[in-house]
Amino acid sequence: MTGNNPEMPVGRIASLEAHARDIRREIVSMVHAAQSGHCGGSLSSADIVAALYFDILNIDPARPRMAGRDRFVLSKGHACPVLYAALALRGYLPVEELSTLRRNSSRLQGHPVAPYLPGIDATTGSLGMGFGQAVGMALEAKMTGAGHTVYTLLGDGELDEGLVWEAAASAAKFKLDNLVAIIDRNNLQNDGYADDIMPMEPIDRKFEAFNWRVIKIEGHDMSAIVTALESARTRSGKPTCIIAHTVKGKGVSFMEDRREWHGKAPSDEEKAKACAEIAGGRS
Amino acid sequence: MTLAPASKPTRRVIADRMLEAGAANTDFVVFESDIGYSTYSYLFGDAYPARYFNMGIAELGTMAAAAGMAAEGRPVVVCGYGVFLSMRALEAVRSFVCYPRLNVKIFSSHGGVTAAIDGVTHQATEDIAFMGTLPGMTVLVPCDSASATAAFDLALGADGPVFVRLMRDPLFEVYPAGTGFRIGGSAMARKGRHVTIAAYGDMVIQSLEAAALLETDGVEAEVLDLYSVKPFDEAALRESLSRTGALVVAENHQVRNGLGYALASWCMRNGVHVPFAQIGLQDTFAESGSYPLTLEKFGMDPSSIAAAARAVIGRKKRSEQ
Repeated sequence: MTGNNPEMPVGRIASLEAHARDIRREIVSMVHAAQSGHCGGSLSSADIVAALYFDILNIDPARPRMAGRDRFVLSKGHACPVLYAALALRGYLPVEELSTLRRNSSRLQGHPVAPYLPGIDATTGSLGMGFGQAVGMALEAKMTGAGHTVYTLLGDGELDEGLVWEAAASAAKFKLDNLVAIIDRNNLQNDGYADDIMPMEPIDRKFEAFNWRVIKIEGHDMSAIVTALESARTRSGKPTCIIAHTVKGKGVSFMEDRREWHGKAPSDEEKAKACAEIAGGRS
Repeated sequence: MTLAPASKPTRRVIADRMLEAGAANTDFVVFESDIGYSTYSYLFGDAYPARYFNMGIAELGTMAAAAGMAAEGRPVVVCGYGVFLSMRALEAVRSFVCYPRLNVKIFSSHGGVTAAIDGVTHQATEDIAFMGTLPGMTVLVPCDSASATAAFDLALGADGPVFVRLMRDPLFEVYPAGTGFRIGGSAMARKGRHVTIAAYGDMVIQSLEAAALLETDGVEAEVLDLYSVKPFDEAALRESLSRTGALVVAENHQVRNGLGYALASWCMRNGVHVPFAQIGLQDTFAESGSYPLTLEKFGMDPSSIAAAARAVIGRKKRSEQ
């Protein structure tokens, strides 16, 4: 995939990059407000989620349960700040509500809960479970002949879960070409580098062996992300896996590729520095 | 006892009812994890292949996909063995079926040591504890064909998740076809005045046999079938205990955290103080063998139930003195 797609208007990409910056700013702000939450894996997937919510997904914030809408399942549910930010900025909830993250009575639970918040299609938070549910959602669409696509975002550490491979096998069996699994390959999980904790490479060949179509991209190249997501939408008889190489904490220099920022909240000073960097457009 | 032998185990009764219901109710689908020839879910699959999903030997993946489809508004039936559905798939049932209150109906075969012959790995002897603990989960355990047929209809008709425990082998018919059953209801399998034996599933039948043994001694035991294990029929329990004043809970399950614990807790919370005993696995695993001999070895057979009944009746008399 290349960032120089001649079909891709420059304005479209620049606009999505601006949305990604807004999402990053809201991620840092809400985790700061909660003094709890996961910055690293939210920031690494911000460009992907921006492309989905501001371009790719056929959704309508005014009709969150619209028939035929595309589905998005955040299987790496701990990265919900990225999802909550995208939903707020897209108009599903007031942006001010983001500061209630993880508070009692908030719709913004520590991990996403489907019935609480419009725009959330599945309850997630236990790794592998979102992917497993996405298979059921794609099966439902196949069975009824609905034409929408089910997207799910996984972490690379999540691939350690056996359930992921149960889901991968069943998606291929049922030829779920309406299912797109995006792997946020930031190579960091809670305890260290994913390649050390549990080596899962070659991830591409594993999915290919499970009879999936695999697309590899640089996960912070907006043009590449959009091109891959558009290509994944075409029906090929196989489910599609997009392996997006990313940097954990992307956009905030002191968080980038740092294990400790998997689940740590920024101080007042760190938040100010992070927001300044994001506004400066480093991402 | 004069009960008629059952021609089919409850797992087969459910599968037959599911096949029958599939024609009129075109909404629900069935998920299976490669034991369709044991749960008999293949009957539905053969008739309605587009509504039948065999997910392979992968109970967790099966339950997660079932949750995903149910999240789309589709009622989903999941068939399998209780030991796997209640443990390997437990987290998916808890967090992704019960938490969002989805319409997933779990038909769980080989409950208790009704699968004695298969050994401990295939005996679901903690399933009622796991499933009954989950918020919003309804737990039903039929004992015969009439109650199993009703359990299928009740499960499909209920709003929210339901777990139905089934038996491996046929036992006896207790209720005439067409008997009314309801979620939260109970059935008076035998009326008596000296002791209440509360039971569910196969243990209703063992308790009826115990009541027949007691009858020869002039003891009139009441057998209260709490087929709706959760929620259970509090009014019926209260009424029965007000007449008998003694309680034995007989279950094919660990005594810890099963129906017995729930009833004991209810009694204490409601000021109902009666002599109480529990029949079930006493913090131990069972073993391979025949169903009746396994019940006998682990103190769950009719004569053990009868002995427990005599004991609580004895305590009642002492406390009345």
